[in-house]
Amino acid sequence: MDQAIQLLLSGLVVGSIYGLVAIGFTGVYNVTGIVNFAQGDFAMLGGMIAAGLWAQGVALPLAILAGVAGAALASALLQRLGIRPLRGDLVAAVIVTIGAGIVFQGIAVVIWGTDAQTMPAFSGDKPLTIAGATIPMQTLWVIGTALLLVGLLTIFFQFTYAGRAFRACSVNPFAATLCGINGNTMATIAFILSGVLGAIAGIVSTPITLTNAEIGIPLAIKGFTACIVGGLGTASGAMLGGVLLGIAEAFAAGYVSSGFKNAIVFVILLGFLAFRPTGILGDLEKTVR
Amino acid sequence: MAALCVYLMALVVGVLSGSNYLVNILIVIALHSMAAMGLALLVGYAGQISLGHAAFYGLGAYGSALISTRIGVDPWLSSMTAATIVGLLGYAIGWVIFRVRGHHLAIATLAFGIVVSIAFVELRGLTGGANGLPGIAPFALGKWALNTDAKFACVAFLGCTLAYYAASRLVRSPAGLLLQAIAESERAAAAYGADVAALKRSVLGLSAAMAALAGALYAHYIGFISPQPFGTGFSIRLLLMVAIGGFQNLQGVLVGAAFITMITEPLQNLGYYDVVVFGLLLIGIVVFCPKGMLSELGKFVRWPPFRRRPRHMV
Repeated sequence: MDQAIQLLLSGLVVGSIYGLVAIGFTGVYNVTGIVNFAQGDFAMLGGMIAAGLWAQGVALPLAILAGVAGAALASALLQRLGIRPLRGDLVAAVIVTIGAGIVFQGIAVVIWGTDAQTMPAFSGDKPLTIAGATIPMQTLWVIGTALLLVGLLTIFFQFTYAGRAFRACSVNPFAATLCGINGNTMATIAFILSGVLGAIAGIVSTPITLTNAEIGIPLAIKGFTACIVGGLGTASGAMLGGVLLGIAEAFAAGYVSSGFKNAIVFVILLGFLAFRPTGILGDLEKTVR
Repeated sequence: MAALCVYLMALVVGVLSGSNYLVNILIVIALHSMAAMGLALLVGYAGQISLGHAAFYGLGAYGSALISTRIGVDPWLSSMTAATIVGLLGYAIGWVIFRVRGHHLAIATLAFGIVVSIAFVELRGLTGGANGLPGIAPFALGKWALNTDAKFACVAFLGCTLAYYAASRLVRSPAGLLLQAIAESERAAAAYGADVAALKRSVLGLSAAMAALAGALYAHYIGFISPQPFGTGFSIRLLLMVAIGGFQNLQGVLVGAAFITMITEPLQNLGYYDVVVFGLLLIGIVVFCPKGMLSELGKFVRWPPFRRRPRHMV
């Protein structure tokens, strides 16, 4: 029983990080319909820039700000130089975002090497004990940030004019243009938003998981799986999927085999894609399109 | 045929000059282009993306190696058997995987590739895990073992030519035209009477079988296989070969395979910069040369430049 509680909690910790990464997908997806395979690398860039600057003696808040700005800039560049010239060709967009992920990873290795980097936890290193199981205090930051972002994004996409304009671009770019929405500007803003969200995810989770140049692609895959499980396009679905995924992974590692841990995640992904591609909370209309 | 002729000439030069290095590279190019031609049928002609094709290549390699070492079957027979089984597997996976399209298909194939490569490492009893599977018999003609680079080069060239011939016949056949119609618009193809789902499954099966055959040839050429070369990186390189070739161009694929295989070596000297160059190349080619490197270069020769039709894929 003790082991089950510990597994549940450590699954929750990892799952909330997956959820946080998954939320980042919603920005770009809701506007352009593109799934950004470089999303995990924004988390990597954010975490690496912040941790790298902190190691150089920069104050933590400044380092964090720089991490967010750096990832946002990288994301904006990706949209302007790589995605915009494609004019909506989705296969090409997939390839370009994969290529961009490889480039970001390569640049990070050139600058910081392949070693893991870390930052201090935001509010002390004392672990938190719940029902005999311990989790790092930073987990509260991860969960809190995730809940805050889910709330803000849900309000933004559902209730604000800009958020609705964003979604209009995804549903029908041509009609959105006719209504006076500038699709290109919206796409750039969406990429910046996703860059910021990705960087926040990377930075908040760095004190727990450490970060290195190669975490981008695995994180992106886990995050996207979380999106599929929860429902692509909604922030709350992404968070729900992430938490479920983290818990499933922890129990698989605990009771089956740690080597097959990753495989089990992908089996879940394939199962959802095959039998419920809209995810738990997703709307049918978008996936069928 | 031009690209194949150039390839054959290079091979003859390589064998006559006795340069094992050159022959070795040419063999790898032939095997990669076999797999990439299969991928071109799927991605280029039928418009269905796959980010997990290395899995089929690896399954072919492991399948043939296991059949020939465990059961003691002749390598010719084992590689054919492995290719057939993997082809059927590809067809069967099509039932599940083609329930989704576009990005979802990309991630589903990526997940499939990762699951398979994890299985190669974790099923230690069968695959030898990360240590790999040694002692795979080379091909033989009667008593004459094809165990040198020059002798095996004939097999690789034969395989590559057969793959090219089969693929180019398919592309011009009624079924091949229907595949291209599917890439343009599934609904229109279905309205025209095409069984879209069955065609997609068939092309995935064929594409998987071609990759598996190439993988099986690779296993019997190298004599030792480990999980490392069959990962996602290889899937992306295969896709890049198809992209450089111009997606709907089988000869271009041969050029793409040659280009990627040849630049991989010098790029390794750049250390970690190679990854950056590789990624930038991938982006550059997709953004600036959607019809492939050759046709963009051809524009400088041909004047006025021909107008590109917009491509509608997915």
